[in-house]
Amino acid sequence: MPAHAVYGTYSDGLSARAHPVTLVLEDSLEITGQDLRLAWTLADLAAGDTAAPLMRVGPAGRAERVEFTDEALAAALKDRCPDLYRSDPSASGGRLRLVLWSIAAGISVIGLAIYGVPAIAVRLAPVVPAAIEARLGGAVDGQIGKILGDPPVCNDAPARAVLDRLIERMTANGGLPVDPAITVRRHAIANALTLPGGRVVVLSDLIDQSRTPDEFAGVLAHEFGHVAARDPMRALLAASGSSFLLSLVLGDLTGSTILVAVGQAAISAGYSREAENAADTYSVEVMSRSGGDATALATILERIAKDDEKAEFASLLRSHPFTKERANRIRAMAGTETVGRRILDETEWATLKGICRNVPAKTAK
Amino acid sequence: MSQPPMTETRSGMDRSGAITFDRTLRGLTGVAVRGFLLSLVTFGIYRFWYVTELRRYFWNRTVVDGSPAEYSGTGKELFLGFLVAVAILIPVYVLIFVATISAPWLAAFGSLLSFLILFVLGQFAVYRGRRYRASRTLWRGIRLGQDGSAITYALMAIGWSLLTLLTLGLAFPFMRASLERYRINHTLIGSSRMESTARGRSLLLPWLAFYVVVFLPIVGALLAFLVATDFNIPDDLFVPKEGGKPGETEFNSDYDGTPIATFGALLLSTLGITFPLGLLLIPFYRARETRLFMNAASLGSVHLSSTLKARQFYWPYFVYLLSVIGFVLILGLVIGGGGLLLQTQGMESGFHWMLVLGMVFGYLGGALFFAVLYVRVITARLWAAVATTTVVENAGGLDAVLASSRRVGSGLNEGLADALDVGGALEVGF
Repeated sequence: MPAHAVYGTYSDGLSARAHPVTLVLEDSLEITGQDLRLAWTLADLAAGDTAAPLMRVGPAGRAERVEFTDEALAAALKDRCPDLYRSDPSASGGRLRLVLWSIAAGISVIGLAIYGVPAIAVRLAPVVPAAIEARLGGAVDGQIGKILGDPPVCNDAPARAVLDRLIERMTANGGLPVDPAITVRRHAIANALTLPGGRVVVLSDLIDQSRTPDEFAGVLAHEFGHVAARDPMRALLAASGSSFLLSLVLGDLTGSTILVAVGQAAISAGYSREAENAADTYSVEVMSRSGGDATALATILERIAKDDEKAEFASLLRSHPFTKERANRIRAMAGTETVGRRILDETEWATLKGICRNVPAKTAK
Repeated sequence: MSQPPMTETRSGMDRSGAITFDRTLRGLTGVAVRGFLLSLVTFGIYRFWYVTELRRYFWNRTVVDGSPAEYSGTGKELFLGFLVAVAILIPVYVLIFVATISAPWLAAFGSLLSFLILFVLGQFAVYRGRRYRASRTLWRGIRLGQDGSAITYALMAIGWSLLTLLTLGLAFPFMRASLERYRINHTLIGSSRMESTARGRSLLLPWLAFYVVVFLPIVGALLAFLVATDFNIPDDLFVPKEGGKPGETEFNSDYDGTPIATFGALLLSTLGITFPLGLLLIPFYRARETRLFMNAASLGSVHLSSTLKARQFYWPYFVYLLSVIGFVLILGLVIGGGGLLLQTQGMESGFHWMLVLGMVFGYLGGALFFAVLYVRVITARLWAAVATTTVVENAGGLDAVLASSRRVGSGLNEGLADALDVGGALEVGF
């Protein structure tokens, strides 16, 4: 192939002056201009990612450049210069390695968020000062109120007195880190939530659904079990730590954002199976000690869970998904000697059931 | 085909050099699709390499006075910078958190405090990020650079922002011009320093358009409303809705037909009309500002001259908006059809799993589509609009630019901007 001369411009990397030159491709790239004669070794040349037909080449690692717009010369250079596009990662196998390492790193971070952070939270929760935990509990309480639509607090005085006496009996010698503060709120979901700082929020439908005082007290004792183990503080630390880690490291890319959201929901959906079992054990102990029916917790668990089966989708993310197993475990622990005992007498229980009397009944939906 | 070099025209000192951009965008879709998908599977880590690839693409296709620009940054530098930034940010976040938790009087100002700290850090990061991009930009083998202090820049930015707040936004164009002067006056091409004569008062007129369109009508409607209520808004204007959720309110029917209701409605509709109009004005202001800043920039006897029109900024957004509307319409039809099918088939048929699968793919496909469209339509067209309307006057003076012997800054500068997600972090442009 006869080498033909191509016009181009040369810049020496020291000044921005463009020198007109002619380029000839022989064994090397020969550049000739006024007072200028260069020969660049082909193996050294690297090209820029410019739009054809414009091309810019220069010896790799140096600032000299030559620019030209000749497709034949560009094609010939591509053929004969082995490293023309090597600085470009898209041309090497580097991208696959990069992707694989990134996936490994991402999985490692997610693993840290799911397993590592909760493990740290377990160690950290007991050393959080009580004052700070109480303040956090207050903030979470406000948040929960907002989510539930600010349900009114049920505070009928005689019922409240019955409740306070019941709580006092149940928490005596209970080894709780703080005195629990129980509020009852009118809400149509049968549930009780434990918040940091020993706050327990009981939703009134739980009392309505309880057929015996022991069922209600059993759930309450279960929540005290969470207070004793500082589970809410642990869960809060774990959830915020994990979500902080994930959102910080994964960055803000459309696909990852939803991953983070799902991850957070799954992580914060509830306590671990171990934590629930420990709280059940605690409940059985408290109920046996304070003269109640320790198996009532199993009864109400099974009844409320049965209602939940209709809403199949929601139960995926519910915190108590393994009801049957738990009920069996509770009955096995409690034995039969406490069956039939009542922690409150009929009149007290009737009074307690009316704790929402102070709140005007809601208008029909 | 090769042409003889235009030696005659090149020699004149007072000739003007065009800036061109390859509008065919060949290969850009491939870069964007690959970048998006790889970022997805690598949990976002690939984004540093993706943005590097995008920058290399845009830089190399921008030809200034016959010579293409060159981007020499690497994804590795950005990634390392990000890791360092995370290492700096975690203690900052933890400190803010601990401070607000342990000092009750501080808790009330907690969000304000963290906003202030992150704002200053963000401006710092924006300036350092620009320094990184400048130092990785070459033209005819000459490296650009930026000196000046990011701390000074961040302090200037916060001072101006406070002044803007105090003056109800009137200081905004002066802030923009002042920061632009600081940026340009500390930008170097080789060893030559650029200079900007941008003035805030020349920006005042386009900025005041916002006041005419948004601010004045709202103030007028508000005054009319206050006059109608005798400067005494009744407490019972909104009453709890009967049978509604707690916190839900409705308009008190006692006030129907009174001037209060009429002017209240006027106020609300004024708000509803002026805010979209204000949004529509943003490209206009941006185009004016860009043109002004371009025209104000010079390097010795060489200066830039821009003929940018606002409509060149509107068109990309218009095309993008139309695509979004079209996509939402199609999505609505598909979901509606799926819903209908679901109703007739019932939940049992396993059909809902197909629907879920379809939604996942629809979401991913939509995200991919918009990511690519954004790069092709918004990024590329805005870039092309600014580049191709700009001309380098007295381009012969560029020949006098000499390379600088200063040290090239580290690559760790831009990570902070990404970690903080500020100022269009990892921007492709300057």
